[in-house]
Amino acid sequence: MLDLLANGLVNIAQWKYLLPLFAGTFIGVIGGALPGVTITMTVIVVLPFTYGLDPLAGLAAMTGVYVGGSTGGLIAACLLGIPGSPASIATTFDGFPMARNGEPGRAIWLGVWASVWGGLLGALFLVFLTGPLAAIALEFGPWEYFSLFVLAMAMVAGLTEASLLKGLLSTAIGLLITVVGHDPIGSVPRFTFGSEFVGGGFPFLPVLIGVFAFAQIMTDLEKLNGPRGQPVPSLVGVKLERFSHLGVNLEIFKRPFLLAWSTIVGLIIGILPAIGGSASSVMAYDQARKFSKTPERFGKGHPEGIIASEASNNANVSGSLMTIMAFGIPGDAVTAVMLGAMTIHGIQSGPLFISQNPDIAYGIYAAYILAHPCMLLICIALMPLMLRVTSVRMAVLAPVVLVLCVVGAYALNNTMQSVYVLLLFGVIGYVLVKLGFPLAPLILGLILGDQIEINLVRAIMTDPSPWLFLTRPISGGLLVAAALSVALAIWQHLRHQKRVAEEEPDF
Amino acid sequence: MSIGRDGIAGLVLLAISLVLLVKSFQLPSLPIVPVGPGFYPAIVLSFMAVASALLVLQDILKRAPVTVEAGELPRRNYRLVVIAFAIVGLYVMLLPLLGFRLATVLFVGLLQVALGQPRTIRQSIVLAAIALGTAMASYFVFERYLLVLLPRGAWTGF
Amino acid sequence: MARTFVTMAGVAALAGVLAALSGPAMAQYPDRPIKMIVPWAAGGDTDNIFRPFAVEFQKHLGQPVVIANVGGASGTVGAREAQKSAPDGYTVYAMHDYIHLTFYAGISDVKYSDFEPVCLVAATPSVLTASAKTPWKTWQELADDAKKRPGEITVGATLGSTSHIFPAMIEKAAGIKFKFVSYDGLAPRMNALLGGHINLTDSNLTQKGKVEAAVLRFIAIASEKRDPEAPDVPTLKELGMNIVYEVARGVMVPKGTPAPVRAKLEEACAKAVKEPSFAQAMKLQGTRVAYLSAIDYAQFLARIDGESKTIMTDLGLIKK
Repeated sequence: MLDLLANGLVNIAQWKYLLPLFAGTFIGVIGGALPGVTITMTVIVVLPFTYGLDPLAGLAAMTGVYVGGSTGGLIAACLLGIPGSPASIATTFDGFPMARNGEPGRAIWLGVWASVWGGLLGALFLVFLTGPLAAIALEFGPWEYFSLFVLAMAMVAGLTEASLLKGLLSTAIGLLITVVGHDPIGSVPRFTFGSEFVGGGFPFLPVLIGVFAFAQIMTDLEKLNGPRGQPVPSLVGVKLERFSHLGVNLEIFKRPFLLAWSTIVGLIIGILPAIGGSASSVMAYDQARKFSKTPERFGKGHPEGIIASEASNNANVSGSLMTIMAFGIPGDAVTAVMLGAMTIHGIQSGPLFISQNPDIAYGIYAAYILAHPCMLLICIALMPLMLRVTSVRMAVLAPVVLVLCVVGAYALNNTMQSVYVLLLFGVIGYVLVKLGFPLAPLILGLILGDQIEINLVRAIMTDPSPWLFLTRPISGGLLVAAALSVALAIWQHLRHQKRVAEEEPDF
Repeated sequence: MSIGRDGIAGLVLLAISLVLLVKSFQLPSLPIVPVGPGFYPAIVLSFMAVASALLVLQDILKRAPVTVEAGELPRRNYRLVVIAFAIVGLYVMLLPLLGFRLATVLFVGLLQVALGQPRTIRQSIVLAAIALGTAMASYFVFERYLLVLLPRGAWTGF
Repeated sequence: MARTFVTMAGVAALAGVLAALSGPAMAQYPDRPIKMIVPWAAGGDTDNIFRPFAVEFQKHLGQPVVIANVGGASGTVGAREAQKSAPDGYTVYAMHDYIHLTFYAGISDVKYSDFEPVCLVAATPSVLTASAKTPWKTWQELADDAKKRPGEITVGATLGSTSHIFPAMIEKAAGIKFKFVSYDGLAPRMNALLGGHINLTDSNLTQKGKVEAAVLRFIAIASEKRDPEAPDVPTLKELGMNIVYEVARGVMVPKGTPAPVRAKLEEACAKAVKEPSFAQAMKLQGTRVAYLSAIDYAQFLARIDGESKTIMTDLGLIKK
């Protein structure tokens, strides 16, 4: 196995593979960094070029996009407070406050290095344990998925400091948003009030960008003291601080357990289809806070929050790669496109893929591993430029970012519908933030809403007995964990309330 | 009986959830699916109704004035927020009519003016250049390289 | 205030210059990129068939053909978007047989006749596929078991779409009863089938790798003759059921598109499907190239529409 991997690494190190890998990673980082441009969109852009290439060259480019995109999102998350891609949602919680506190460099490099180490740790699992770990995905029937999602929501509702009740309500609002439109089972229109616009439903991405981008930008605008008079300050408004790569790495390695656990959370969520990096970053963030000695510092620029989110979203990539390697079943849109590219080249996917095509399989492993140093080099080269954003005036930055958001929403479906949704949820998101409702539970409710319903109905359609949710061992275990998680959150909450008085929410 | 911001928010959410809850029972069901399309929304809405009722209750019971002294916080400029939302709304409305390129030039220009009025000719030129540059750059990047066919104007055909 | 006015006037003037630069429109069709609406997600079967097609199609059209994946609500969001598009030939719609079914199921009010046919491109025979965790090696064993346990064998399907209708036709022909469970899309169905959470599903020959690895079994194929790619899989006709079920995918344009534009598209399509690289790509997709001209495609659509209506009525799925 090691010799196969060594062969793979030597093989990938040729220019004809290294160049597409590097180019893919570069495009991925840029695409990830632009709010609204998703990794899926970026990988589709790369797809036509891969038709003409050697299959491994194309797959290397796509792997690069995947890895680069999972990291690139943190740049916008830290500097603008808007997740560049859904996978970096949780990075905004601490990355942006840290940047605002005058340490944008530290925030970004903590994220980049955590991505590198989380990704490489994930690679170990990917290379040595693909078979047994991917088998987990098959054990998950509708009951297990349902219980897992309940656990995820139980975890995140307790994330907020201000009010547990508002956290729960935010989750419910998130779930409610996914219910509007055609139902996912029989496409019956629900709560549309006869409107074609509402009937189209509210897709995840425009809602996400709308809620985050508008809440952030509009809250910043409030602080501008009138359009006349003094020059408008910049978004972050801080001078670049001096930071050292060594220091950042020490910060990460002082917390080996955090790094390892975030990686494992990301990996497992990656293996399970249909969930993705967004949920894994939020869940790892929650776990980090639960296990932390200093949970009260989360949300105010705590390095642990950044490390957890970024390590897990890159490990998530290695998890998603496992199921296509082991079974030829794509877990998300990006791996679906990769699988499509394999088919075009006549590579038979399925359980025999690794043994029948060891060159390609180990080539993908090697590309995944090498994508991380590539991504690091690209970040080192780009970062001085990226950090310039901090000195751009708000009057310029706000319109440009909003144009990107609008284009990103439009590009999702190439329809104006998504742009209208973006604006609607921009308003709603801003109002919710003003009322002190936390956004993280809302977003998780939004990510999981459809899937919870689908799996619940699937379980009932397969077998009407509700006890199966408890008697199936994995499902039962997950539900018990959900109950424990809520209990822990209430306990932490009560302990916390004694210490700190309520603060005015300031997003 | 005083009611705070949370109480009002709770009441609004309670009203929404109750109205939709009634609606969810009226949805038609499919012959081969054992639970109808209203089954899951009803669960979510009941949960939401209970949580928002509790929020209202909490707000009324709390009594303690949660009002933060206005002097401590920087004065919030809500007028600017409303203007900015209106400009974005206008942009979104004009996009399919004027086409992406024209609407974007107007939007970036207008929002810049709203956020910080240029005072010299030079500043005005810079402002216009940014507006044009953003529109052109995003158009080229998305249309040419990211394979997104941006909206064309129904009025302008451009 | 005057300054604002000057600035705004400047911006408006620049915008005007931009507009003037766009030049006279409509010289010769096509003079700009064409959008192809694929009403399903990237990486799905329909997307995997139309992406290689678009490569050949644009070669013969002389303008880029850009695929826009407009997914959602069983393909009906994309259908509505295509229907609403300007009938100028710059938006084409890549569709398959689901459109008849979603119309009759009352999911969507978009009908196939809201479009003008351009050409039929490809047809993918459906394959009845069983999980390796089930005991059945052949159709006969499956049928016997199903007769003993009516309504207990689970089938994963997109309700009201092709993957639902195909097993339902088998139900009817063999006099058995399945239990349908909602699984949208082939990938989640495969996951559930491998894990044994469902017993059967409709798939296609792209899943051959999993059959070779003995985690799936192909029970029967719904084509006229056995497929050379999978010669051991019997056809439903051989098994005594008169079912040929292929998912047919073609290109349409919104109603009102001028005839010369349609002719140009049809001509390019006819050339594109003859490209050997397209044939090769389709073979890998478990699909046959099935070209029909606009006139033949129109007849084909009318026939399928009638059949779909009958089937949906039989199944009790038709809108009341």
